[in-house]
Amino acid sequence: MEGLVTGNLQGYLAVGFLLFVVGLCTVLVRRTLLMQFMGIELMLNAANIVLLAFARARGNDVQGTIFYLFIIGVAACEAAVGLALVIAFHRHRQTTDADRADLLKQ
Amino acid sequence: MNPSMSEFAALLPLLLPATAACLLPIAALDRDQASQKWIRGAMFLITLLALGASFYYLTKLWSAGLQPTYGQLRMDRLAQFAGIFVTVCGSLAALQCWDHLHQEGFFKGETLSLLLFSVTGMMLFASTTNLLVMFLGLELLSLPLYALTATVRERPEAVEGGMKYFITGAVAAACFLMGSVLLYGLTGSLDLNGIGAQALAMTSASGAVDPLLLAGSALLLMGFLFKVSAAPFHQWTPDAYEGAPHPIAGFMSVATKGVAIIALLRAFPVALGQVPVLGAKAQAALAVLAALTMVVGNLTALSQNSVKRMLAYSSISHAGYLLLGFVAGTDRAYSAMLFYLVVYLAMNMGAFGLLTALGLVGDRTTYADLRGAGWKRPSLGIAAGLCFLSLAGIPPTGGFYGKYMLFKELIGTGHVALAILGVLASLVSVYYYLRVLVALFLEKPTERQERDDAERPAVEAPLAGATVLVCAVLVLAGGFVQGPLMDKFVQPAMESARAFLR
Repeated sequence: MEGLVTGNLQGYLAVGFLLFVVGLCTVLVRRTLLMQFMGIELMLNAANIVLLAFARARGNDVQGTIFYLFIIGVAACEAAVGLALVIAFHRHRQTTDADRADLLKQ
Repeated sequence: MNPSMSEFAALLPLLLPATAACLLPIAALDRDQASQKWIRGAMFLITLLALGASFYYLTKLWSAGLQPTYGQLRMDRLAQFAGIFVTVCGSLAALQCWDHLHQEGFFKGETLSLLLFSVTGMMLFASTTNLLVMFLGLELLSLPLYALTATVRERPEAVEGGMKYFITGAVAAACFLMGSVLLYGLTGSLDLNGIGAQALAMTSASGAVDPLLLAGSALLLMGFLFKVSAAPFHQWTPDAYEGAPHPIAGFMSVATKGVAIIALLRAFPVALGQVPVLGAKAQAALAVLAALTMVVGNLTALSQNSVKRMLAYSSISHAGYLLLGFVAGTDRAYSAMLFYLVVYLAMNMGAFGLLTALGLVGDRTTYADLRGAGWKRPSLGIAAGLCFLSLAGIPPTGGFYGKYMLFKELIGTGHVALAILGVLASLVSVYYYLRVLVALFLEKPTERQERDDAERPAVEAPLAGATVLVCAVLVLAGGFVQGPLMDKFVQPAMESARAFLR
């Protein structure tokens, strides 16, 4: 807990891993497409936190910071494609419940 | 900071499809593209020209023996191999798209633009060892594919398949990202070779491996295996393939798998394999997963009624055979793996091409829909039959030699049980591939099918038919002239993968 306040590496890593696990659980457990989608964003941002914590611990390493900027850009593109798919799905089914996605089965 | 000539040379193969992909949406702005045939024709021409030019340029680089680099982008022989592989696959898919999109009554230039972006991403993914660039390549190849899967958005199945592919794919990409971040944090390097060297220096003192290194490598491996669609990360495959247009399903199954295997080759045995413990652990994990993939893929494929779903499970089982190359872990096994990839390109694009060439759209892709089609168009039927025989691994086709070389290397390195499992798995697979041939040649069309055909005659598909013929020729070439193919094309690529370590 002290790590969070003083901001050393372990504290940030703990938060990052926690967020990652929470995100993964959200995708696996929640049955609403939008919530699953938020879980994915959470996973990406957890990776961002861990990345920036490592970069800071390595004396503000430029590689890490640039990687972080790229991840933000990629996450935005992913959001665009994902939301478009959610909307297309909603047009067909009038719902965003993932359990209703049951056409393709055998 | 203008790139010099040699740097530009490394960039050009990626630049060509990317530029065309940016141009195409301008042509697609015209709302009349559904009625104006010349606009559609021009868009397809631009696509094929870009892919053709990239292919031509890569073959020039290859024959001149040049291996230019630009920053983190290494256009070495392995990358050129991947580039040639992807452009050929992309061209075949684009040709089949022309016919398939007309059959579906849904032609949009954006489809081609997305295809070209995906091709660019694949080349990027396979031509670097830097994790940042690799992640960008991974996303650049996946994001267009999610959209492509759902491209015929009138079909609910297409949107659903795309949605499922997106959710699972994004999770896998996030895991890949987390893995690379952990490896970076541990070693302070983003280059896989640097990470491997650094990790080796860290482990040699104590002998034990850092748990973060293990976790990072495992997450990274998961990202790759998802793209290869190896069990247990294969759930998305049948749904995504069934929802996607046939040519796109073929493209996804061949090109994605191919570049993922090539990137895995750069990452694991070569770079991270510098740490002996890590290499051994990855090999052991891959052995288990390869066995699981072969069993799951083949057994599930048996019970499918839809040919497209069967092909999806068959592509899973082929991922299992390909991963066997990593288990054997010798240079000759890797060469066999790359050779099998080349043959797989031909036989799988041929198999998916048959569906397009016969004009089976929507959910008309069951075995019953294929009945008697072989006699109606004999040359197409025989060509596709060759592709299916090759998928089953029957001599003298290329599929047989690919499997033979892989299994031989496995036995040579002492993995006899896995080799036996592989042979048994491909024996099982003969059943469902032959079912296609039986439907094509030995069964008569049902009354319902003849009525359907009379009501909605299939749109002629000359281009798709031609691609199937080309694929059949390639499959036979893999069987009869595999020596030169191996020496001229596959071996040099393999040697460069080894060489950039030293």
